[in-house]
Amino acid sequence: MKIIKKILISALFVLGFNSYNVSANAECGDITIANMNWASANFMAEVDKVILEEGFGCNVELVPGATMPTFTSMQEKGEPDVAPEFWANAAIVELEAAVKEGRLHSINKAPITGLGEGWWVLPHTLAKHPELTSADEILKRPDLFPHPEDPSKGGFHICPPGWNCELSNRNHFRAWEMEAKGWAIVETGSAAGLDGSIAKAAERGENWFGYYWSPTSLVGKYNLQAVDMGEYAGKDNWDNCLSKPEQECANPKKSSWVKSEVFTVVSDNYKNTAGKAGMNYFKKRTYPGDVMNGMLVYMAEQQADGADAAVEFLVRYPEVWSKWVPKSTADKIRKGIGL
Amino acid sequence: MDFNKIPVMDRQSLRDLKKGIDQNFKEFSREYGDGIESFFDPLLSFLIWLEKLLVGAPWPIVIFAFGFLAWVGSRSYKLALGTVLSFLVIGYFGMWKNCMATVAIISVATLVCIAVGIPIGILMSKSNRAEKAILPILDMMQTIPSFVYLIPIIMLLGIGKVPGLLAVCVYALPPIVRLTNLGIREVDKETLEASEAFGATTMQKLRTVQIPLSLPTIFAGVNQTIMMALAMVVIASMIGVKGLGIPILQAISNQYLASGLMNGLAIVALAIIFDRVTQQYGQRIQKHRGQKK
Repeated sequence: MKIIKKILISALFVLGFNSYNVSANAECGDITIANMNWASANFMAEVDKVILEEGFGCNVELVPGATMPTFTSMQEKGEPDVAPEFWANAAIVELEAAVKEGRLHSINKAPITGLGEGWWVLPHTLAKHPELTSADEILKRPDLFPHPEDPSKGGFHICPPGWNCELSNRNHFRAWEMEAKGWAIVETGSAAGLDGSIAKAAERGENWFGYYWSPTSLVGKYNLQAVDMGEYAGKDNWDNCLSKPEQECANPKKSSWVKSEVFTVVSDNYKNTAGKAGMNYFKKRTYPGDVMNGMLVYMAEQQADGADAAVEFLVRYPEVWSKWVPKSTADKIRKGIGL
Repeated sequence: MDFNKIPVMDRQSLRDLKKGIDQNFKEFSREYGDGIESFFDPLLSFLIWLEKLLVGAPWPIVIFAFGFLAWVGSRSYKLALGTVLSFLVIGYFGMWKNCMATVAIISVATLVCIAVGIPIGILMSKSNRAEKAILPILDMMQTIPSFVYLIPIIMLLGIGKVPGLLAVCVYALPPIVRLTNLGIREVDKETLEASEAFGATTMQKLRTVQIPLSLPTIFAGVNQTIMMALAMVVIASMIGVKGLGIPILQAISNQYLASGLMNGLAIVALAIIFDRVTQQYGQRIQKHRGQKK
């Protein structure tokens, strides 16, 4: 009796183990992707879902996320498996440690080109005043950008209160000696306030100067132009002065914006389940900045969600995404979305 | 008919409808935005002037003025002393500038609300039809989430003081309108008849009987309006109004417990001072009336 039991158990064990292995190799298995709470990340998560499901046969589930909570969960629990657009400046030290230990892999160091923060102006301003080629040139002309409360000064739109970029913008204000050049800060109050001020200026043909970032639908919709802020004046100036509260930054030096580190981060579990093909996909998956901004405009104008935009993207830009996967996989995806 | 699924407009027409509304509003804003903006220019320069005055004047004078005003309103030395002390503490904790900006916008908002609200309240008390028409609008003003009307206001007027003031007024106007209406409607019928018997015209009745007799109620309305305006300080800061709301927003997104609490308590101190002074003033008017009887 005992022997039969043993055989049965070991047989079950072997069978179970085998079937697990088979499914993992042939079909890639279950993957969770972080669906971050902003438009571009939401869109990327939905595109990844379609491609991994249709092309690689994974079983993908999207889980809602935000930068820090998702990162903490990935670091501690290895879940979710993929963060498609992770703004790493927030947790660069922890991420490097986790990568070194092999728990996470920052697989793609530039999933979107041309992204970043900085100062922007509207294109019609540049068309009328082509001499405004750099931040220095713009700062010479406060009269072109009148402050709403004091038209004798130039208005410099900064980040809403409490955002990290609020501190750096206030320090930049001192570093570029903007007060002496006739500028004053415009408090924007909230993301809606900042966006609204840009939209209002663009719709009315007024000039606007201030802080913004890409990829965003506003950059795409109004074709905002990044201002050349010159040289990056070193890590020490940025980390120990410009990004600190004003009282901790006595002598800020003017500098271009720090490079935004945006990665696609995957868990070790993803590496094992999706295998080499799945890893290669994320390595190659780079969105050109203008395509990304165009999709964000589509989402905003059509009031579409990420899933709609993902299908629209796959239909509209096959030449972009077919480079990310082998040809046979691309055909599978085309078939899957009914092209 | 399928009773498990509510009939829904098809996606495309719904989208077109929404886009059409947005587009029309954008065109309206392009066409009339500048005009509307310059209409509010006097208000803006008054706000800037008041804020500069409060921030620029020597602090002992400003604090003394506040204490004096508190005493004039309440005739209570305790309250005047409390006012002076609270402003000293607010200044000591480095919130002076923001506090003055908040006082400036709250005072102007209250004045605007009184100037607009009392006539509307009188109109409502005179005509049942006007009351029926205006009441739902007041309900809407008090309940509609502020960002719903803030976005169009930003498109029209940009960010800053004037849109902030409008946002505050939309929320703070209803109590004074409601209570003016109520106060006048509650005036004793017999007193009115007496004045009619003396041949008073409608304007005379209003000026000499109805408004004086309803002043305590109207004052309760002013008091409520100020309280509501103070409750909107943080929302107003979200569209670029300087004041105590800005450090609170900073505190919220960075979990600065102490800074949030300090600025929040400064708003509470302002609210208590305004509330007690206006309430005491209202009670004094009532006492006065009691003696007359």
